[in-house]
Amino acid sequence: MENGPPQPSGNSPPPKPWERAGSSSGPAPFKPPSAGSTSDVVEASGTARPGEIVSTANRNTAVNNSTLARPVPTRPWEQQQTYGSSYGGYNTGMNYNSGYGVGTYGGGYGSTYGSGLYGNSMYRGGYGGLAGGGMYGGGMYNSGLGGSMGGYGMGGMGGMGGMGGMGMGPFGDQDPNNPYGAPSSPPSFWVSFMHVMQGVVTFFGRVAMLIDQNTQAFHMFMSALLQLFDRSGLLYGELARFVLRLLGVKTKPKIHPLGPNAHPGPNALPGPNQPHGNQHFIEGPKAAPGAAWNDVWGDNAQ
Amino acid sequence: MPVFKTPFNGYSVKFSPFYENQLAVATAQNFGILGNGRVHILQLTPNGPISELAAFDTADGVYDVCWSEAHDSLVIAASGDGSVKLYDLSLPPTNNPIRSFKEHTREVHSVDYNTVRKDSFLSASWDDTVKLWTVDRNASVRTFKEHAYCVYSAAWNPRHADIFASASGDCTTRIWDVREPGSTMILPAHDFEILACDWNKYDDCIIATASVDKSIKVWDVRNYRVPIAVLNGHGYAVRKVRFSPHRASAMVSCSYDMTVCMWDYMVEDALIGRYDHHTEFAVGVDMSVLVEGLLASTGWDELVYVWQHGMDPRAP
Repeated sequence: MENGPPQPSGNSPPPKPWERAGSSSGPAPFKPPSAGSTSDVVEASGTARPGEIVSTANRNTAVNNSTLARPVPTRPWEQQQTYGSSYGGYNTGMNYNSGYGVGTYGGGYGSTYGSGLYGNSMYRGGYGGLAGGGMYGGGMYNSGLGGSMGGYGMGGMGGMGGMGGMGMGPFGDQDPNNPYGAPSSPPSFWVSFMHVMQGVVTFFGRVAMLIDQNTQAFHMFMSALLQLFDRSGLLYGELARFVLRLLGVKTKPKIHPLGPNAHPGPNALPGPNQPHGNQHFIEGPKAAPGAAWNDVWGDNAQ
Repeated sequence: MPVFKTPFNGYSVKFSPFYENQLAVATAQNFGILGNGRVHILQLTPNGPISELAAFDTADGVYDVCWSEAHDSLVIAASGDGSVKLYDLSLPPTNNPIRSFKEHTREVHSVDYNTVRKDSFLSASWDDTVKLWTVDRNASVRTFKEHAYCVYSAAWNPRHADIFASASGDCTTRIWDVREPGSTMILPAHDFEILACDWNKYDDCIIATASVDKSIKVWDVRNYRVPIAVLNGHGYAVRKVRFSPHRASAMVSCSYDMTVCMWDYMVEDALIGRYDHHTEFAVGVDMSVLVEGLLASTGWDELVYVWQHGMDPRAP
């Protein structure tokens, strides 16, 4: 620190603009400044506590002498720890946890996110509640075992809930998670047999329902597909006709331009005698040369 | 106007109080989530690009820097691993940092050097404490622990050597006297986390707070029931706010809406300038003490801009 830089090696910078200006707007509510260095001033006041390290443990107890009773958002890294400790191996990198939470999203931008949405209500409460209390712990697992039918009824998990219930059924009372007190006596043969039968019946019922639903879905899918093909064929025809007409391509005329009715020749017999009338679709092209031939003959004859 | 590209995401920028063409930039890799950090010392060349005087690598992201007011080559960096590091520009990078104070148990988010007595500095950390350090001691002089949540910023009073303010995530700004055991004033300034605070340079009772609620509020500590001014205009949380060293009522702020705004809280239409040159979160801003109207900003788009107020920062 001794070797000074090349330029005006100053031990004090140029005076600040506000130091050149006048004093402030009025009496400040602060005690007048003391003379001497900062460390001397602090030691003279008796508040110096050099090198104090505030650990996380005593921070929460010692600090809350705040006069404001405002809810404080959970710290991102503490959220991460609850998450990480239950799942293991995820929170090994301290940097990752702490940095992620506040450094980027917690600190500023995400403090709205961090505290309001994700932090308390959604993320922590939601996640913990879901994994710990709601689905697995209380609702699904325990009550599913406690009452044999209750498990199926509450099963939000779909078909396999029945399997779990079936396997566990006879031994439900010995489950360590059973909250209903002491284990009762083991069920008799018929009771357990009926449990097994019930499980089997439920199982096949579920399988049947699955097959039924799959069949229905397949049917609907196929019929929708066929309908789609049908419609798309029609649409294609219409579009092609329109495009060709726009391009000026002469398509096969629907009505013969010089039908037998329009012909002045002797063979032109209007009325019901003409078998096809005005609507010549297939025979039209054939009729034209026929009429021409007749013309030729007629001209020659006359 | 010159631009400097940093390899990492910028977090803070500060002008040197000694030289009008030097500035320090704190950067952190991967948006500060994970990885290394680097402190850049940049030099402005007249009508030219920004050149790099020195760069110091750290093992963790650097979230803030400040210049020593007592020695023109000393820079203090706030590191993500909880340490506060001292760098001496006149020494080669192998000899740096010359000091590393490791007392905070969480990331240090802000450092500020005392401009009056020029012998001490503060560090604000996410372990809810603010620590007071002097350069000549290896341990902190004392610790201020009252906040109930991360302290994001601490700022010395520019006219009073013993007074400073701290902004915290517990929605309060506290005014401290280093001779008092506890805080002398608690300012429940916002309903959301407060990310930054700064003192008016010309009136030592005026303080500005910037919060997640997108607003900046200006307070008079003698009457802190109602703010003097509420400055709305940012679209997201306001990350930093700085009073101008040259004009009593001017200040600059940067926000997560990627803009840097100039304000004058005395006038009716407080927003007097808006710069949207950053393409990512603007997280660091400073006004030069030595050159009036010279601004610098950095952000997560890894760019450091230096420009004169009123000009376009992106203009070549």
